[in-house]
Amino acid sequence: MTDDLTLLRAVHDMYDTLDPPPADLADRVLFTLGLEDLEFELMRLQETLQPVGARGPETASTVTFSAESLTVMVTVSDSGPQRHRIDGWIAPGGALRVELRTPRGVHETQADVDGRFAFAEVPSGLVQIMIHPTSGATVPLHRPVVTPPVQL
Amino acid sequence: MTSATSDDTGVGAASWEVAAREFAAWRAGDRAALDRLVRLLTPVLWHLVRAYGLDRESAEDVVQTTWLALVRNVDSVRDPQAVLRWTTTTARREAWRTARAGKRVDVAEPQTLDAALPPVGGPDGTVLAERTARTLWRHIAELSERCQRLLRVIAFEDRPDYASLSTELGIAVGSIGPTRGRCLEKLRGLLAADPEWSDRRD
Repeated sequence: MTDDLTLLRAVHDMYDTLDPPPADLADRVLFTLGLEDLEFELMRLQETLQPVGARGPETASTVTFSAESLTVMVTVSDSGPQRHRIDGWIAPGGALRVELRTPRGVHETQADVDGRFAFAEVPSGLVQIMIHPTSGATVPLHRPVVTPPVQL
Repeated sequence: MTSATSDDTGVGAASWEVAAREFAAWRAGDRAALDRLVRLLTPVLWHLVRAYGLDRESAEDVVQTTWLALVRNVDSVRDPQAVLRWTTTTARREAWRTARAGKRVDVAEPQTLDAALPPVGGPDGTVLAERTARTLWRHIAELSERCQRLLRVIAFEDRPDYASLSTELGIAVGSIGPTRGRCLEKLRGLLAADPEWSDRRD
């Protein structure tokens, strides 16, 4: 008869085999922890739309992240080998300052009054979007909101 | 018997001590120690969180939130020895809270996981053969939800905090031990009756 410890080990190995953590989960955690200032709200992934034409040249996928006071819908499309374009739409719309964190540095832009923004020619790798409280914007944020890192 | 050769049933005494050491090193200014701590404990947190039935995306959110909470509240962990319990308890509490709030909960089936699965087999050869794993999965699925949750938690956390576990499972602290015994007994019975389990050769 199998003793408790052996059985629990088998349960442990079974879950590790059939439901393992995503391979890059620790990397993504560390990417977030690498932010200079941890005073922000971490957004939650709300919805993922499956990529359309996953094997074709026009691959695009859309994800929505939500925070208490806003949501952001992000569409990623390929713009070349290992290159991506990110189109974002903040709702409610507002001219907020948006940063894109990549392993190689930070890109910055400003959403238009409808909350739309874009980053072109983003290399493959982890990226994270940070939306900042911005003076003059109609959307009041009391601290930045940050998406979990996603792999492009 | 299984093919497992490691003494590590999840967070064994060794990981406990390693976690405490890395945490102390990080607090003393060694940034790389935080990297090691995160890599050491993230898989454990994943399995604990998934025990509460959250889908993979929500589970990832909870793991991220747990680490952020640790870094933000680092001063509340006075004794490095407590870091493992602090993170595991925080992760379970957050998972339980999220599941109760009715966030996307899924009943994972191995079939539906197939697409997302990496090739079976760990670098150290300690993972079960896939067929054996599936047999075990199938029988665990026959247990009550409470048994499934409890067994997954204790398979990855040696000495879980019984007070929080009691709230999350909806049973008295004093009943956790006996419940654990009954769940394991039930599982043992199911496996004993299955020729596929007794005939397996890993």
